[in-house]
Amino acid sequence: MGLINEIKNYSDKKNLSADKRSALDNFLENGFPTIKDEEWRYTSLKKTISGKYSINAVGRDVTKKEVEKHSLGLKHKIILVDGFLISKPEIKNISISAYSEFISNTNEALEKLNYSLAKNGYTISVHANTTIEEPIEILFFNTVENNFIQYRNIITVGDNSQVKFIEKIQNIDCDNVFVNSFTHINCESNSKLEFNKIQNNTPNSSLIDTVDVFQKKDSVSNINTLIFGGKFIRNNLNFEQNGTNAESNMNGISVLNKNQLADNHTFVDHKSPNCRSNEMYKGVYLEKSKGVFNGKIMVREDSQKIDAFQSNNTLLLSEDATINSKPQLEIYADDVKCSHGCTIGQLDKEALFYMRSRGIGKEEAQAILTYAFASEAINNITINKVAMLAKKLLINKLDVDLDHNI
Amino acid sequence: MLKIKNLKAGVEENQILKGLNLTVKAGEIHAIMGPNGSGKSTLSAVIAGNENYEVEEGSIEFEDEDLLDLSPEERAHKGVFLSFQYPVEIPGISVSNFIKTSINERRKALGIEKLSTPDLLKLMREKMELLSIKKGYLSRNMNEGFSGGEKKRNEIFQMAMLSPKLSILDETDSGLDIDALRIVANGVNKLKSKDNATIIITHYQRLLDYITPDYVHVLYNGRIIKSGSKELAHELESKGYDWITKEADKEWA
Ligand SMILES: Nc1ncnc2c1ncn2[C@@H]1O[C@H](COP(=O)(O)OP(=O)(O)OP(=O)(O)O)[C@@H](O)[C@H]1O
Ligand SMILES: [Mg+2]
Repeated sequence: MGLINEIKNYSDKKNLSADKRSALDNFLENGFPTIKDEEWRYTSLKKTISGKYSINAVGRDVTKKEVEKHSLGLKHKIILVDGFLISKPEIKNISISAYSEFISNTNEALEKLNYSLAKNGYTISVHANTTIEEPIEILFFNTVENNFIQYRNIITVGDNSQVKFIEKIQNIDCDNVFVNSFTHINCESNSKLEFNKIQNNTPNSSLIDTVDVFQKKDSVSNINTLIFGGKFIRNNLNFEQNGTNAESNMNGISVLNKNQLADNHTFVDHKSPNCRSNEMYKGVYLEKSKGVFNGKIMVREDSQKIDAFQSNNTLLLSEDATINSKPQLEIYADDVKCSHGCTIGQLDKEALFYMRSRGIGKEEAQAILTYAFASEAINNITINKVAMLAKKLLINKLDVDLDHNI
Repeated sequence: MLKIKNLKAGVEENQILKGLNLTVKAGEIHAIMGPNGSGKSTLSAVIAGNENYEVEEGSIEFEDEDLLDLSPEERAHKGVFLSFQYPVEIPGISVSNFIKTSINERRKALGIEKLSTPDLLKLMREKMELLSIKKGYLSRNMNEGFSGGEKKRNEIFQMAMLSPKLSILDETDSGLDIDALRIVANGVNKLKSKDNATIIITHYQRLLDYITPDYVHVLYNGRIIKSGSKELAHELESKGYDWITKEADKEWA
């Protein structure tokens, strides 16, 4: 029983290429990571993988109405249903196509699994010297209940090019879907990328999302991760700076309740001198929710003049909520500016009293202060529609009566 | 309207208010003066319901109802308003949004329907005019980066918007420039009616030149040691506190 057996059955029946077969064998040797793995210490996959799943099953079409309902309403939309590309915009100097096979050199079990099972995903290439003003929306719809599905995506942002994406995974008429997504991003010289991930799927959904970003000189990449919905979320966000004057920025907001778990593992590998990284993660944990943050920054021996900043600030709003937050700095160069901070707190009492004395009920006051806490990270989002959505989701989740348009 | 009897309150072991009595009737203005650290802000915090302070003894009645039983927000809904000596910065929420929430929470508690946005904006315009407040400030975050004087003016603006029955102004005059002082005093006078009352905590006679109090009290070491008419404030301005505090010290020695 369990997912691992389903995977075995599936692999026995399929004709896999030699590379894929070996990757799968490699995965099966140890199976899914457990809490005995240092990188998974606080994040147990046990429940998620004990369910009954089909593998890479394909369901029904998605209607125009459904797309509209879940879209941010942007002009450029890439739509995938159960992992298959079904619609793409025509944009000058961008090529967009369906899944194409590519090998990544990571050693992660879930990447190996992804590689061996993947059939789905997108390939986007922004040609050199191209600036795309309008953000591109990428919508992944899942329609099959109890499905385990891989997305395998690759993006290349050409020399001197600029582009912005918003990615969202949405279950329709189904809830228990487990997505294992892997995205490889190449930021070529002097390119600029903004990538927004909206993780607000249905209450029983599970997601493991790995993004590896490879940056060349003078490139800037901004990755925002907004977590609101879903039962189990693990994000692995890795940057490799392979050229001078590269900049990697990350913003994260997690607002969780019930039994939700969200784990953000980030890693910035400063392999070249004169680079920067900037990381701000904020978490609000209600009820029995659980947060994990692990921020690794590595500055290699010859990477002088690195400026790295990291913060993870957390509000724990219930006795039962927990957070495990761990900065992990490995610095082998000597001329480096590196700072990190982590706060775990409750709400400011003076501010609460001030608001209550103005007639604002305790819960409402708490919600407003929480909103203020989280919105600091939202303010770093440059796409207005994304910022608005984030505010709306935040307000809904906190159940507060605020007009997010003001 | 407000009856405080033998109020003893403090933080942990430290008793700050040591048997305070005060009665305020509708339509009256009371001024409370007194040296630093005598307990003026503590008194206002206890009336407003700050849970940092523990009431050990005594009672506070507001319109014949026990106030000490109520939460801060319930007190506000009944019409108690405190203008803070040190207004708190609330990041992430605009002045207009804050005030809107505050008004509508009160209305909800009282069973009145929400104020519509046009009505709210109209009311805001009216009160902003009364207090000479510039428009741009509504969209700024609550008190964030406000100058000392702007914060105080913002307190009075909220008071005007909420039209409370009992207003306690804790050193609202400190930090205001001369014009602002006049504007704020003028606002307080305009809002005055036979149904509401005001307690003004101040160190200076100056504000009382604009707002005429019916009574002036001296609070010292957790008690009111002298009460009188507005002339008392003049006397304090020229003579200081020594002449009454010495007497009080002797009495308690
Ligand atoms: N939360 C607190 N914790 C400890 N001590 C406190 C607290 N609040 C007040 N006190 C003490 O109680 C005394 C009275 O303080 P309070 O602020 O009421 O004085 P005040 O009369 O308003 O003074 P001022 O004129 O300087 O504003 C002071 O000695 C102060 O240090
Ligand atoms: Mg004071």
